Amino acid sequence: MIQGLLTYIIFTPLLAALIVLLLPKRFESTYRLIALVALGITMLLTLLAVTAFDGSASGPVDQESSLQMVEKTEWFSMELGSLGKFSVDYFLGADGINIAMLLLAAIVLFIGAIASWNIKQKKKGYFALYLLLSASVLGCFIALDFFLFYLFFELMLLPMYFLIGVWGGPRKEYAAIKFFIYTLVGSILILIVMIGLYNSVYDPVKTGLEHGITSVEQVQLAVESGEIKADEVVKTFNMIYMADQTNYIPGSLLAELDGGEVFGRSARWIAFLALLIGFAIKLPSFPFHTWLPIAHVEAPTPISVVLAGILLKVGGYGLIRTAFSFFPDSAFHYSWMIGFFGVFSILYGALNALAQKDIKKLIAYSSVSHMGFVLLGLAAMTVEGVSGAIYQMFSHGLIATMLFLIAGVLYDRTNDRLIENYSGLAHKLPRYTVVVGIAFFASLGLPGFSGFIAELLVLLGAFKSSSIIGAIPEWMPIVATIGLVLAAGYYLWTLQKMFLGKYWVKDSSWTEKLNDITTREYLMFVPLAALILWFGIFPDTLMNLINTSVESFVVLLNEATNR
Amino acid sequence: MIELQDLIAPTAFNPMIYWVLALLGVPMISFISNFFTKGKAPVWAALLLLINTLISVYLAFNYWYGEPISIKGTWFSVGDTTFGYSLYLDRLALIMTVLVNGISFLVHVFSVEYMRTDPRKARYFSYLGLFTFSMLGIILFHNLLVMFMFWELVGLSSFLLIGFWFEKKSASLAANKAFIINRIGDVGLLSGLMILFAQFGTFDLEALKALMVFSEIEDGNWVTHFTNNGQQVMNSLDGRWLSAAGIALFCGAVGKSAQFPLQVWLPDAMEGPTPVSALIHAATMVAAGVFLLARVFVLLDAQALEVVAAVGAATAFMAAFAALSQFDIKKVLAYSTISQLGYMVMAMGVGAYSAGLFHLITHAFFKGGLFLTAGIIIHQLHQLESDKIKFNSQDLRVMGGLSKYMPITFLCFLICALALAGLPGFSGFLSKDAILLNATAWAGQKGGGYYIIPVLGYITVLFTAIYIFRLVFLVFTREFRLPKIVGESGIASKLKEGNWLLIAPAIILAILSVSIVFGANVKAENTWFMQFFSVPIYLVPEAYAAFSLVDLTEETIKGLHSWVAIVSIGLAAIGLIVSYFLYRPISKKALVFQDAPEPRGPLGRLSLNHWYQDDLYEKVIAKFIVLQSKSIAWFDEKVIDGIVDGFAKIHVVFAHIVRWFDKYIIDGFVHLTVFASGRVGQATRSIQSGNVQTYILSALVMLVLLLLWLVF
Repeated sequence: MIQGLLTYIIFTPLLAALIVLLLPKRFESTYRLIALVALGITMLLTLLAVTAFDGSASGPVDQESSLQMVEKTEWFSMELGSLGKFSVDYFLGADGINIAMLLLAAIVLFIGAIASWNIKQKKKGYFALYLLLSASVLGCFIALDFFLFYLFFELMLLPMYFLIGVWGGPRKEYAAIKFFIYTLVGSILILIVMIGLYNSVYDPVKTGLEHGITSVEQVQLAVESGEIKADEVVKTFNMIYMADQTNYIPGSLLAELDGGEVFGRSARWIAFLALLIGFAIKLPSFPFHTWLPIAHVEAPTPISVVLAGILLKVGGYGLIRTAFSFFPDSAFHYSWMIGFFGVFSILYGALNALAQKDIKKLIAYSSVSHMGFVLLGLAAMTVEGVSGAIYQMFSHGLIATMLFLIAGVLYDRTNDRLIENYSGLAHKLPRYTVVVGIAFFASLGLPGFSGFIAELLVLLGAFKSSSIIGAIPEWMPIVATIGLVLAAGYYLWTLQKMFLGKYWVKDSSWTEKLNDITTREYLMFVPLAALILWFGIFPDTLMNLINTSVESFVVLLNEATNR
Repeated sequence: MIELQDLIAPTAFNPMIYWVLALLGVPMISFISNFFTKGKAPVWAALLLLINTLISVYLAFNYWYGEPISIKGTWFSVGDTTFGYSLYLDRLALIMTVLVNGISFLVHVFSVEYMRTDPRKARYFSYLGLFTFSMLGIILFHNLLVMFMFWELVGLSSFLLIGFWFEKKSASLAANKAFIINRIGDVGLLSGLMILFAQFGTFDLEALKALMVFSEIEDGNWVTHFTNNGQQVMNSLDGRWLSAAGIALFCGAVGKSAQFPLQVWLPDAMEGPTPVSALIHAATMVAAGVFLLARVFVLLDAQALEVVAAVGAATAFMAAFAALSQFDIKKVLAYSTISQLGYMVMAMGVGAYSAGLFHLITHAFFKGGLFLTAGIIIHQLHQLESDKIKFNSQDLRVMGGLSKYMPITFLCFLICALALAGLPGFSGFLSKDAILLNATAWAGQKGGGYYIIPVLGYITVLFTAIYIFRLVFLVFTREFRLPKIVGESGIASKLKEGNWLLIAPAIILAILSVSIVFGANVKAENTWFMQFFSVPIYLVPEAYAAFSLVDLTEETIKGLHSWVAIVSIGLAAIGLIVSYFLYRPISKKALVFQDAPEPRGPLGRLSLNHWYQDDLYEKVIAKFIVLQSKSIAWFDEKVIDGIVDGFAKIHVVFAHIVRWFDKYIIDGFVHLTVFASGRVGQATRSIQSGNVQTYILSALVMLVLLLLWLVF
C-alpha cells in the first residue's frame, strides 16, 4: 500500500499538465502520449486503490474512522475575528460512496485520452486543459473537505469551458457559455450553503484540543450543554463531520434543533433545496437540463465522453455526499418531489430522445432519462434504491462513454450526425453495427448488461420505499417503467433507420470515407463492452465496495426520519 | 415463523450442476463459435444441438421419477438482501428441455438446407444458439429475476432472428415491433417482480411459494410474517396488490405468448426465416408465457386468474377469426398460433394447469410441423423464382395442387392439420378436449356470464377447422395456379419435393402429432402426460384464493366429458364440412382463387385486418406518442430552454440598463459633484487669498464660534 495514494492520483495528471505546458512546441506530437501515459498511470493507481479498499471495513458514513486511505493535513487557517478561526484541511479519503465514482472517473478519463488521439489543432492547450480537467474531476470525488471539494468542483468548469468553446462544433461559443453560466449558478447556490454550513458545524476534535478535552463525545456534550460557547468552537469544512448532526452548534442557522429560518421556513429545508438545485443542474434533472444537449452536441467527442461519463455523476455524488447526508430530514421532507422529478425526467428525457434527429442529441436526452433513475433511487431512501442510484451512475458512465464514442466514430468520418441521412449502414460497417447494437441494447437496459442491474435495483427500492420508510408512493416506479419501453423505442428506431434496410447515405462522397472501426477505436470499445457486460453479470464486484457504506447511509436517512 | 434465509440458503454442491451447465453451455458455445465458423456453421451448430438433445433426453429418463432437483446459490447481495439463483429440475423442466432441444435440433437440420445459399448463415446459426441458450435458461432457472433476464434475452434473439434479413425494411420494422411490444409486457412482469420483492424480499420461486402460505389477509391488507436473519419481519401491502401482482406477472405472458392486447407482433414476426417461425414463433418461445404462468400458477389469486381466462378466450377467438381470410400461408399459421396460445392461457386461467401444459406440448409438435411443411413449400416455390419470374412464394394464390408435386409434405401437413383441428386420433384432440372440459366445468361452477369463456373456446374449435382445411384445400388440391399467374406453363415441372434435410424433421413432428404417442387412449386424463402432471394447490390466502378444479367430483367430470367431446368433435367436423364446401377443388371460390380479391364485406375486412387492432396501434397510439414526443421536444427547446435563454437575455438587458444608469446617473452624479465642488472651490478660492491676516481673522472667528458652542 502506497502512502498518499490518493494524492498521487490527483497530482499525476496535474504534473503531466505542467509538463505539456513546459514542453516546447516542437515536441507537439508527444503531448497526446504524455496525456495517455499519465492517465494510464492514474488508472493503475486507482485500480490499486480499489483493490486495497476493503468494502466490508467501511463504517458509518458520518464517522471519519470508516474512511480508508485518509490523508488529512491542515492546509491553511486564519483568524477572522468574531467569525472564528477559518481553517481548511487538505482532506482526502475513500469510502464506499466515492470509491466507485473514482474508479469510473479513472476509466473514463483514460478512454477519453485515447479518444483525444486525433485532436489536430492547438494540441498544447487541449492536452494541458484535458489533464487539468482530469485532475479536478478526480479531486472532486475524493476531497472530503467541503472547501477543497468546492475548489475542485469550480476548477472543472474552467477547462471544460475552453475545451467546448475552442475545440467544439459550429455553435461552440454559445454552448460553452451556456454550460459555464448554468453550472456557475448552481455553484453559487452550493457556495452559499457551504458558508452557512461552515457557520453551523464545528470540529469536535480540534475544539477538544483547544479546550483540553480528548474525548469527542465529551466535547459534543460540552457544546450541547453550552459549556463550550458557540464562539469558542473551531469551525470546520469537514464533510464527514457535517453528516453527523451532533456536530452542529446548537442554535446555529443550520442546526437541527433551534435552527434558523429563512423566508419563514426552516433554514435546513432551504439549504437542502439550494444544494439540490445546485447538483440537479449538474446531474441534470428536468427542468435544469437544457444546457446538456447543446453542450454535448457542440463538444468534441472526448469531451462529450467526459461530460456524460463523469461530470454528470458529480451531480449525483454531490447529492449523496452533501444534500442527503447533511440534511436527511429535509431530504425526507422533499422526497416526494425528488422522486417526482426523477420519474418526470425519465419520461421527459425519453420522449425528447424519441423526437431527436441528431444522434448525439438523442444520446444526450437519453442521459437525462437515465439520470432520472438516480434521483428516483435516492428519493426512495432504501438500500436497494440508493445502491441502484450509485450503480446507475457507474453503469451509465460506461454506457454513455460508449454511446458518445459511437457518435464520434460517425462524425469523424462524415461530419454529419443526422439520423435521416443514413440507412443500412450494417452493410457497409458490420463491425461498427455490432458495437452500436451492444451499446444500444446495454443502454435500453437489456439484462446481462450493467444498466439492467442498476435500473432493476432502483425500481425495486423505489417500490419498497412506501412500506419501509414511506418516502415515495408505489406508483412512481411503476410509471418509471414506461421509460424502459420508450428507451427500447428510440434506440431500436434509430438502429432500424440508420443501420438496417438498404444501404444509402445522403452524400455519395461519404461512402469512401465510411471505413469500419479502426484498431484505436477497438481499443476503446472492446474494454468498455467487456466492462459493461462484467458489471451486468457480476454485480458483486461493485456491490462489495459500496454495500456497507450505502447501508450506513440509509441508516442515517432512516434515523433522521424517526427523530 | 418461517425463516427467509433457510428458504434461500445455498445448497451443498450437487454434481447435477455440471449437467445443467452443459445444457446451457452447449448452445452458448454454438452462439459464440459460429461467429467464426463461417461455412462450417450449419453442421457444427446442428451437431451441438444434437448433443444437447441427447443430454436432455438422458436427464429426462434418469430423473423423471425422482424428487425435483433444486440447486441454489448466491448471485450478489445488496445491503442485507441476497439475490440468488436457483436451478430446478422437475418434470416440467425436464420435458421442456427435451422439447426445446429436440425441436431446436430439428429446426437446425431443416435450416441446413433452408439457409444453404444465405451468405450470412453462420450468423443465423449463431442466433439460433443464443435463442436455445436463453430459452433453456427460462426453463431451468427457478428464480423469477433470473428467469426475467433470460426472458428478455429470448426477446433479443427473437429480435435478431425476425430481423435477420435486415435489408428488407418490413423485416427490420417487424423485429422492432416484436421487441418493443414484448417490452411492454416485460415491464408489466417487472412490476410484478417489484410487488413480490417488496412483500417477500426474494425472487426464489420455492421461497415465494413457501412464504405465500404464510401470508394472510388482515383488514383488506396483504400481510406476511416471517423472519429474516432471525429478525421478525412484517410486510404489508394493500390487498389489491396481491391481485395486481398476479396480473402483472401475467402481463409478461401476454407479451411473449402474444395475447390480447399485445398479440399484434406475432403475425409481423413471420418476416423472419420460416424455420425460425417454426421454432420460436410457434413451438417454443411463444409458449414461454404459458410456461411462466405454470411456474407462478399457485401465486395467482382468483381475480388474476379470471383475467387470465378472459384474455386467453378472447385471444383464441379473435385470432381464429382473423385466420379465416388471410392470403399468406404463414399469416394463417401465425394467427392460428395466437389462437392456440389463447387456449393454453385460457386453460391456466380456468385452473386447468395440466391441460394447458399438455396443449403446450402437443401444439409444439403439430404447429412446428405445420410451419416446417409450410417452409418446405415456400422454399421449393422460391427455387422457381428467377430474375424474370417474381412472385410471392408465401401467397396462397400461387399455390394449389401441390400434393401431386410434394406428396410427403402433403401427408405431414395433413396429419398436423388434423391434430390442430382436434380430430380424434391426433394429439390436438386430447389436449384441446381436456381444456374445453375444464373450462366448461369451471364455468358451470361459476355460472352465469362465465359461460362466455368456454363458448368462445367452442367457437374457436369451429373456426380452427375451417381455416386449417381451407389451407389444406387451397394449397394441396386442384391444380397448381402459379403457371397461369406467371404465364409460364413449363415452370410446374420444375417443382420438386424437398430433400431429406427438409422432409425428415417434418416427418418426425408429424409422427409426434399422432395421439398414440401420448398413450393409446381417447381420454386426455388417461394419457401418460396428464398422469404425471397434476394440478397444484393454490397457495394464496383464503379470501383471494381461486376456485380449484380439484374440488370437483369425479362424477361431475365424467358426466361432462362425453358431452364436451361430442360437441367439440361435432364442431370440428362441421368446420371441415364448411371448409369443404367453400374450398373443395370444384367449388366456385377455388376455381377463381388465383385472382381472389381481398374480402369486401365488413366481417371479411375485420377478419383480414385482425379487428383493425394494428391500425389502432399504429395510426392512433404510435402516432400520438410520436406527436407527443415532437411537441415535448418543441416545448423543451422553446419553452424550457427559452426561459433559460430569456432569463439570460433579461440579464443582458438589465445589464445595459445598469450601464446606462451607471453612465448617466451615477457617473452623472459624480460629474455633478465634481462640477459642483469645482464651483464651490472657485467660490471659496477668494477666501484663500494668501493674506495671513485674513487667515488669522477667520481662525479667530471660528475659535469664538467654537467656544460659544462649547459653553452653551
